[in-house]
Amino acid sequence: MIERLRALLAAAAATVLLAACGADAGPPAPGSTLQATLRDADGDGALERGPAAPLRDRTELGAPAPSTRTLATLGIISDAHVRDEESPARVPFLDRFGSPVDSTFRPQEALSAQVLDASVRAVRSQRPDALIVAGDLADNAQANELDLALTVLRGGRARPDSGAPGYDGVQRASNADPLFYRPDTDAPRHPGLLERAQRPFGAAGVGVPILPVAGNHDLLVQGELPPDARTREIATGDRMVTELRERPKLPDGSSSGAQRVAAIRAILAGPQLGPSRRVAPDTARRELRAGEVVERLRDAAGVPGSSASLDYAADVGADLRVLTLDAVDRAGGSGGAVSAAQVRWLRGEIARAGSRAVIVATHQPLRSSRGGEAVLALLDQSPAIVATLSGHTHRHRIAPRRTASGGYWEIETASLADHPQQARMLRLVSTRGGGRALETWVVDHDGAGLAGIARELAFLDVQGGRPRNLGAGRNDRNVRLGLPAR
Amino acid sequence: MRRALRRLRGRRRRVLTAAALTAAAGLAVGVAGTVGFSLATGYDRAAQRTDQPDVLGRFAPQRLSVLRERLDRLPNVEAISYRLEVNRVRLAANGQSKRNGAVHVVRPGRRGYGVVAGRDLGSRAGEALVERGVAEEWKLQVGDRIDVGGLGSLRIAGIALSVDNVAFPLATVPRIYVSEAEISRRFGADANPGVNLALVWLADPSRLDITLAAARPAVFGLRTEQLLTKRAVRQVIDQAAGIVIALLAVFGLVACACAGVMLAAASAAEVRRRAPALGVQRALGATRGAVVGDETLDAVLVAAPAAALGLGVGALAAAGPTANLLGFLNEVAPGSALLWPLAGAFAGLVTVAAAGAAWPAWRLNRKAVSELLRGGDLATGPAKRRRVPSGGLFGLGARFAFARRGRWTSTISALAVAGAAMLLVLAVADLLVSLRDDPGTLGRRYALTVPGEQRDARTIARIPGVAAAAQRSTVEAADSFSLTEPLRVIAYPGDHVPFEAPPLAEGRRLAADGEVEVGLGLADTLGLRPGSELAIQPAGSGELRFRVVGIVRALENDGRVVYARTARLRDADPSLGGPIAIRLASGADRADVVRRLDAAGFESSATGGATPRNRSFLGVLASVLRAVALAIGLVCLAAILQTLALTTRDRRRALAVMRATGAPPGALAAVLTGTAAALIVPAVVLAVLLQRFVLGPIVAELAASYATLPLGVGATGILLVGGGLAAIGAVAVLVVTRAATREPVAAGIERDD
Repeated sequence: MIERLRALLAAAAATVLLAACGADAGPPAPGSTLQATLRDADGDGALERGPAAPLRDRTELGAPAPSTRTLATLGIISDAHVRDEESPARVPFLDRFGSPVDSTFRPQEALSAQVLDASVRAVRSQRPDALIVAGDLADNAQANELDLALTVLRGGRARPDSGAPGYDGVQRASNADPLFYRPDTDAPRHPGLLERAQRPFGAAGVGVPILPVAGNHDLLVQGELPPDARTREIATGDRMVTELRERPKLPDGSSSGAQRVAAIRAILAGPQLGPSRRVAPDTARRELRAGEVVERLRDAAGVPGSSASLDYAADVGADLRVLTLDAVDRAGGSGGAVSAAQVRWLRGEIARAGSRAVIVATHQPLRSSRGGEAVLALLDQSPAIVATLSGHTHRHRIAPRRTASGGYWEIETASLADHPQQARMLRLVSTRGGGRALETWVVDHDGAGLAGIARELAFLDVQGGRPRNLGAGRNDRNVRLGLPAR
Repeated sequence: MRRALRRLRGRRRRVLTAAALTAAAGLAVGVAGTVGFSLATGYDRAAQRTDQPDVLGRFAPQRLSVLRERLDRLPNVEAISYRLEVNRVRLAANGQSKRNGAVHVVRPGRRGYGVVAGRDLGSRAGEALVERGVAEEWKLQVGDRIDVGGLGSLRIAGIALSVDNVAFPLATVPRIYVSEAEISRRFGADANPGVNLALVWLADPSRLDITLAAARPAVFGLRTEQLLTKRAVRQVIDQAAGIVIALLAVFGLVACACAGVMLAAASAAEVRRRAPALGVQRALGATRGAVVGDETLDAVLVAAPAAALGLGVGALAAAGPTANLLGFLNEVAPGSALLWPLAGAFAGLVTVAAAGAAWPAWRLNRKAVSELLRGGDLATGPAKRRRVPSGGLFGLGARFAFARRGRWTSTISALAVAGAAMLLVLAVADLLVSLRDDPGTLGRRYALTVPGEQRDARTIARIPGVAAAAQRSTVEAADSFSLTEPLRVIAYPGDHVPFEAPPLAEGRRLAADGEVEVGLGLADTLGLRPGSELAIQPAGSGELRFRVVGIVRALENDGRVVYARTARLRDADPSLGGPIAIRLASGADRADVVRRLDAAGFESSATGGATPRNRSFLGVLASVLRAVALAIGLVCLAAILQTLALTTRDRRRALAVMRATGAPPGALAAVLTGTAAALIVPAVVLAVLLQRFVLGPIVAELAASYATLPLGVGATGILLVGGGLAAIGAVAVLVVTRAATREPVAAGIERDD
């Protein structure tokens, strides 16, 4: 009797979950927050399994009717910041100076490739039709970083190590600088973690088309500075600067890209560079030219083209077109920039989309990008637009944009570099009555192995996603987004 | 039960004697247990009562928003409260005043102190809380007024207790609390005093290391003066009295064990004495189990009320001095929580008494009934001719003692243990005196200190009578890899051995800037050995790495000390300072050197010991030790009384014949003196051996395994304990002689018991 009751309850629960995920979707796979979440309910700094977070209806642009069919499913990962943490081009010491600089060092930074791999596996388990990589796949525009990240995305043997075999970065136990978390000696202790992080591993790959978006860290040194001879010399050289002699004059967040670039060049050129130590040089650390980055990302996307900007259109099934815009300012600075030519290109692609729903993906949110107003004005006029996607802020955010034609959703996805290290799934569904809606939920990686340690460390990071609440609120994660009737 | 009570009524005097012994043992356990339990748990109790924060961060004064922005990032934090500590404020009340007072400006939120009288700071104007130590020292009560620097006269709304230091006057700074609203009322709403203290409570205190590790980057750039964990606070308190607490707590345990042994021995002696009676029971058909059951029940019925009485009196006697001692340490007396250990002690005493009766009764009952009827241990075989010391009546008394081998053995065991415990009391008292007065117990060889810089050391070294002088710097820090482990670095510019040299347990002395010697306490905690790397994290500066070359048995700071050279510490903190330590030349007159220093413009201070010199504090310590010694003395008195009383009973007929033949009371006293001497002399010898080879090493090891505590036996101690036992024996002889001579001679001749 009890067994039968248990079976009935299980069936009822499965039915509820099925309804939550759309008409023809299976039960949520492991990692989906529709099934279970991670939370720190007792506030002790350790994540535990929490309850499922079912989809919540957001009706600002229209009440979503029950879904009848999945039209397309996208996986979205953003800001993986796969990094060569042993590179002499890194500037972790800048964290000492505080605002406006932060997170130039992350306790989990040696594990970025493993986190990307775990996240790709989590997304793959959700059976997407395509994966959008919303920028900042690499951290420092280095060839080895981008190659490693693309290997993880496509699948293959990933080799995180650079320079001499084994770990040789700021987190080594012999570094008597407590600013940097040293897993062999500091709490929480993970002896041998750094050596394990350097070992090659097999990446399964996502197994579906990859739609990369160019991010400022993919093309610019530290996401700010166009590579030049000086930065390339540092990246491939054998001297790693460990300190600045004095506090640099750093422009704040409101300064222009040019001002920021000028400030950084002054540091690099001037006498401020402090002591350095010898590291094994590695030509694989070469900083790529913008064109090289675009070419590699275009190759990954499998789209033709030869323009200097990574703008392209990709259809996902018969009902969805994704338009990616390259908003990286080639002059430098981390803020986005969109040109008039790109707006014209976008206008044409939207027109060619026909009856397809259109999603526009950029790295920097359009609302904060130079030239973004013009793009938004264009999108506001088009009833085909259902959402804009972006990353860059490292924070989940979903906000309605109401327009004369009804409106669309601005969807931002948190990073893999910081807590909560979540990917996002986005599903376009048809609804009863012939309408359409979006369903989106976030996905945790499985936390196994090094990626699990990375998440633990990311959660503890005092500059990371926990204190900055980058996981955001419930309405920014698992929601069913109503779309205006067309 | 009725039969048992009838049995006990039939031998009322012996029962009373046994009860007195049990009560005395209970008294010893009550005193020692109360002292030990109260001191061992006082800190934790106070920490709980006062909601002590897990971390106390001390920073340079700054805006609340700046500090909050940094500390809000920390993981595993349940709550944070902020305060401003203003130092060097004049406080005056009730005819007393201090210019070095501390005023804590308290903001809304968790307090981190407990209000033990009156009420907390509220919305009323013109109020302050006064720390308990200040209130007690200055005889202040709720409702009194206190003058507080620029704030003027404030009404005392309550008395507060905080566990972040020892109490005033043991801590030299008196402290009061005022609300931030009070500051605004006095200096205007725009007054922004800032904050410099952060009290942090953790969600999971066992993950303190995680929070501290995160705090390093979080507070980077802020001038952090101290991150004080609960363990570090405890060390601050230990610095004042930790070794004392450890000694008394361990002594309490040992005293309890001693009382148990004595009680068991006494119970066993009583059963052996009753061997013929047991034989009669067996002859009448009682089973072995029934006989043992009767003896056990009798023992329980006697021990239970006596133990309860002794424990109660002991606890009451120790409660006062112990509470005073706890007060000095800002700790809290156990109150009703003491009932549980006392109940445990009660159960233990009764169990010991019962087992002490049951076991020998069981063993005796293995013998034939005829043997039992002849006295059990008296007649186990053909009589052997023993050499008995001659000496007339005195020798006869000794023969009486030796004749009852079982009783003799039990009694001298009990007396030996009691004597050893008394020797331990004396050794502890001697140690406390030397800890207070003799810097040598800390391994310090310098006799004087003067404020100054290293350049002054060269001038001072030239003064006649000075053998060496150097700046002694201390840095409170933590192990950088285990931030929950506090430590103290003691540094000299060069060789530290001329100034302080705790004995080397392993390795060698340091010889370079990158080398250190570490205390055994720290080495054991961190698993350090010669060759290990030690990473030190001073508050507010970078990490320093050293190579451990030696392990020393240092008593200072619970052995959590590091001896280093100054160079690296000064590189990290150029403002590093400290007094000049001065070692006197052999045979130099200290007073003369002090005069010369004074003439040269250096105001010197004598080097202190490991415990405070505060007169009241030491007085309280003396009271506690006196109470313990008194309890043990009473146990000894009861044991000797019991044995002598039993001897007079056993030898009633012989003594009656002596009296009938004209022997004066003095002759009876001589016989009993011989009996007492036969007990006391071997007991003293055994006591010395027991203290020297068992109790002393045990207490020293448990109280401070990281150092060598001199808890040996001195001639004075032996004389005092021997004399004390002799005096107790004399009292017992007088009492028993008097009782025996009161009995009619004929009664003794007519019948035996």
